[in-house]
Amino acid sequence: MDQQTLAVAFWFALAAVLVAVVLLVRQRRITADLREQATGAQAVTDAWAAEEAHLVNARIPALAESLSNRPVEVPGPVNPRFAQSHGRVLDLFADSVQQATARGEQSAKATLKSMMRAVQSLANEQQVAISAMQERHDDADVLQGLLRIDHMNSQLGRRAQATAVLCGSWPGQQRSASSLTDVVRGATSRIRDYLRVNIPIEADIAVTSRAVEPVVLAVAELLDNGARHSQPNTAVEVNFQQAHNGIAIMVDDAGVGMTAEELGRAARLLAGDGASDISRLGDPPQVGFAVIGVLAARYGFRVSVDTRSPYGGVRAVVFLPTELLTRVDKPLPTPAAPAPTPVPAAPAPAAAPEAEQKRTPGGLPKRKRREPAGEQAAAPSAPPGSPGAARPSEQIAAGLGAWQRGTRSGRTASPTAAEGNPQA
Amino acid sequence: MTPHRRERALVRPHVVTGGRAHPTRNTFDVVTVVVATRASFSGLTPEKRRLMELCRGGPLSVAEIAAHLSLPISVTKVLLSDLFDSGHISTHAALPRTAHPDLQLLKDVLDGLRARL
Repeated sequence: MDQQTLAVAFWFALAAVLVAVVLLVRQRRITADLREQATGAQAVTDAWAAEEAHLVNARIPALAESLSNRPVEVPGPVNPRFAQSHGRVLDLFADSVQQATARGEQSAKATLKSMMRAVQSLANEQQVAISAMQERHDDADVLQGLLRIDHMNSQLGRRAQATAVLCGSWPGQQRSASSLTDVVRGATSRIRDYLRVNIPIEADIAVTSRAVEPVVLAVAELLDNGARHSQPNTAVEVNFQQAHNGIAIMVDDAGVGMTAEELGRAARLLAGDGASDISRLGDPPQVGFAVIGVLAARYGFRVSVDTRSPYGGVRAVVFLPTELLTRVDKPLPTPAAPAPTPVPAAPAPAAAPEAEQKRTPGGLPKRKRREPAGEQAAAPSAPPGSPGAARPSEQIAAGLGAWQRGTRSGRTASPTAAEGNPQA
Repeated sequence: MTPHRRERALVRPHVVTGGRAHPTRNTFDVVTVVVATRASFSGLTPEKRRLMELCRGGPLSVAEIAAHLSLPISVTKVLLSDLFDSGHISTHAALPRTAHPDLQLLKDVLDGLRARL
């Protein structure tokens, strides 16, 4: 081996070692990088898995709970990096749940509404039949039975009507404007314990024809609540209170009152919040406040139950604004006899001059109404200008007024009737 | 009848009579004539008020009162018995003879109807 060859070999070996060292160092660096990357990737995957577990086990169940109206707070993401992507998932989930719920609710309401409409129309038909029988039979025993059936049928009709209203139907029935007293008595007709309700006579103020049925329904629910939640031997008192821009109907019971929780629920339902979800009315369903809330929102009156009655129970107040009120039309202008005839045997002389009978347009003779002799003599003979004519002219005015009111109510009746029908 | 008949009554008869179907007395007939004997209506229900207002205008039969109030006759009788008991009204069993419609009138009606039909 000569020196030269050895040197060459040495240099080659050195170069090879150098290359190997360089490669080794590079490789080492790459390995460290890769290891680092692998660790990072592992951490990301772990975080991802943890976040996903959190989403599936905590966030989505909480969201589902809160969508079914329980007071649950939906927790945020553990790692804020996933807020956006998972937020989108949650939004989609919430949307689809809400849509499905709304669809289910809608179809349940539609079914219930059409069923209740059938029940309602049967109850109405039955009421017509009962009324016809009441007219036909002049017998106290038969009447006793008919009154009971009528009472039960009225309650049945009210239940069906209330449920239908809750499902989005109109109250239906078209009524003429009625005095406040009659509206409350109409409500009383439809509850079980109607004999326990005391109602003052308020003859002057009436409820407009459009609002009669909804107010009757609302007051009936309040009276029913009052009577149901108080002792059977106590009375439910109704009072009217004139206010600045309307009138308040107050229903006081002597029952146990309501707890703060019940009051909160009632206030929420009375504000019209109950119509959205008929599946949350409890078992047995408590429809009363929900129905009142729907009606109050739709017709513009207010109902509150948050005061205590002087008898210890609840005072429910229905506030009717002036728009829903009108003046009562007196059913018939009273003849107002100057002095009520004390002797009952007066009618005899009235029948004397039968010769000049008035005749109908068809040529039939007209029967005269028999009136006390004094009045009959005074009324037609007095000339319009004479001092004695004060009362006849008043009567004429009253008659003309009644005619005018009749015409007006006849004209206003048709558009409101059209409002109620398409939905009812 | 009156236009009110078509509309189902808002206040049902069981509330009008307070659940009672039996009049306190049996003296009322469809043709019994009723006369108001008191002018004050205080403490009366709306139906009784209207009844008294009707009767103030002169004697009326039970059937006429029932028709004017749009109430069944049997229900009207319960109200009338109450008013009789409280002294608001008095009754006649039948009309005096002279007050009957005379035969000529009835004949005219009959002839008129025959002529039309």
